[in-house]
Amino acid sequence: MMGRTIFIDPGRCIGCQACVSACRECDSHRGKSMIHLDYTDEGHSVASLPTVCMHCEDPVAPCAEVCPADAILVTADGVVQQADTTRCIGCANCVNACPFGVPKIDLQAKLQMKCNLCYDRTAYGLAPMCATVCPTGALFYGTLDELRAERPGVQVADSFTFGDVVVQTGVAMVVPADKVQWPVPGGLPVVEINGVDVSGANPNKGGGGRGEGVR
Amino acid sequence: MTEPPQTAEPTAPEPEAAPAPAADGRASQTPAAVRRRAVLAGAAVSVLLILAIVLGSRLLRDFDSALLPYAVATVFLAFGVAYRYTVWISAPGARRLFRQGWRSFFSADNFRKAPTALPKMIATYLGFQKFLGARSHARWAAHQLLFWGCILAALITFPLTWGWFTFTSSTGDGPGYEMRIWGFKVLGFDSLNILGWLMFHGLDIAAVLVIAGASYFLWRRMKDRAAITGQRFAYDLIPLIALIVISVTGLLLTFSSIFLHGGGYEFLAILHMVSVVFTLIYIPFGKFFHIVQRPAAVGMQLFKYTSRRKDEELQTCRRCHEPIDTPDYVENLRGTMKDLKLDFDEWAEYCPRCKRVLRGNAYLTHVKKGFK
Repeated sequence: MMGRTIFIDPGRCIGCQACVSACRECDSHRGKSMIHLDYTDEGHSVASLPTVCMHCEDPVAPCAEVCPADAILVTADGVVQQADTTRCIGCANCVNACPFGVPKIDLQAKLQMKCNLCYDRTAYGLAPMCATVCPTGALFYGTLDELRAERPGVQVADSFTFGDVVVQTGVAMVVPADKVQWPVPGGLPVVEINGVDVSGANPNKGGGGRGEGVR
Repeated sequence: MTEPPQTAEPTAPEPEAAPAPAADGRASQTPAAVRRRAVLAGAAVSVLLILAIVLGSRLLRDFDSALLPYAVATVFLAFGVAYRYTVWISAPGARRLFRQGWRSFFSADNFRKAPTALPKMIATYLGFQKFLGARSHARWAAHQLLFWGCILAALITFPLTWGWFTFTSSTGDGPGYEMRIWGFKVLGFDSLNILGWLMFHGLDIAAVLVIAGASYFLWRRMKDRAAITGQRFAYDLIPLIALIVISVTGLLLTFSSIFLHGGGYEFLAILHMVSVVFTLIYIPFGKFFHIVQRPAAVGMQLFKYTSRRKDEELQTCRRCHEPIDTPDYVENLRGTMKDLKLDFDEWAEYCPRCKRVLRGNAYLTHVKKGFK
């Protein structure tokens, strides 16, 4: 896990969209918001989930690996940058390969855009726009020690399972203290689609990844 | 190298695929094999260019020895471009799209059904660069100036340095001139009329176009905060400075011959030559390599266009049924992901939003029920 990063706590998110608005003010993609705020069980729950780029470390940046134009650079500080405007051919490989569903694409402009951890700010020691405005601390920017100083005993996870693959990320998620031993399920294999149980289609892989055994 | 040391390109075959045979298990994809192939490709292209120079200049009879450094630089350029091109298309993502692009290109069926598709794509993507207009009108205009300026300059200078073009006058110093290509007369003109002026000032016109375009981009790189974010001197600024230096020294040559009676001409000629030679050798490594890469956009688009025509229906997200892309494209991406051992390729059949929602649901169900 990188030193200074974003910690996401969906339990604190109230879905106010302040992060979405603030993201538009980021100088590197002014006018366009790159953060996603999804209401995961709309109509039944007020639960909401903010998604920034997780800055995958291992495997390093799947988006960059599948890019046919070498357009996505990873800087030495672990930040996965948005596509180089000179190189991006707008093929959308990154959009569809990202396990977290992060990159956006403008098909007319033939250009991918994504959260770059507000590189115009974080490169100078400032917090990203989203973490700056989040009223509930669902998005926290700092080191783990700084997070723990504010929230004693908090546990975080930086690995996620997608089927048999564990993806380790630069951005971390807050998890309950007793769940920290295993990677967070990433949603694959899919067990249910629109209320229909599809786990039978994956008889060996029911549940949410490695966590299943623990539960 | 162009990339400064603090950056890494994870798509390069070296880091992940290191000692073992590469992702798809074929020995031809190991970094050593790729490098070997790249050196061979570079050598082959260089030898072909040297042969073309020798034959095109009628066994060097038309070769202008004063332009030798330029010609040598183009041979290095040919080697570098072929080398990097080979390395580039050896990475899984590029290799698969490269193949699909050419497959669509050579498809007779495709040509019969849509003969105008390819020329139209080449004109809009590579010529008029419509996609740049969607990014910013000002950048589009400046890039068009740069692009046409460079094309004009390349069309004039490359054949001249290779000895393919000659301008001769039967009277010794004109005004009647003949232009010959590979020794064959193609044009006779009077150097004192408009056509003659244009023929002899093509590079000055190109220089003006390039200076206007490059100056705008240089200004933008100083002022625009989006451009400044993550900007690197060697990658982003050197190419613009190089183009401006080439154009200004080129114009000074004309200035010297018209207004200074050739004063300082030799010094300026050397300065101009050095800047051109360095820029030519830099092309394969830095930002200029996009000139070689950009046609991949046409290949990619042609592949999507062809598979769209074939299937008509787009593949939809398995959860929300929003369209993702053509079935062939999704299959191609899944293949790329498998090559790279990204074994969650099944995920490519879900749209980005559903991936996030499903992850949110998994978090709700398995991690933090209180989140509800």
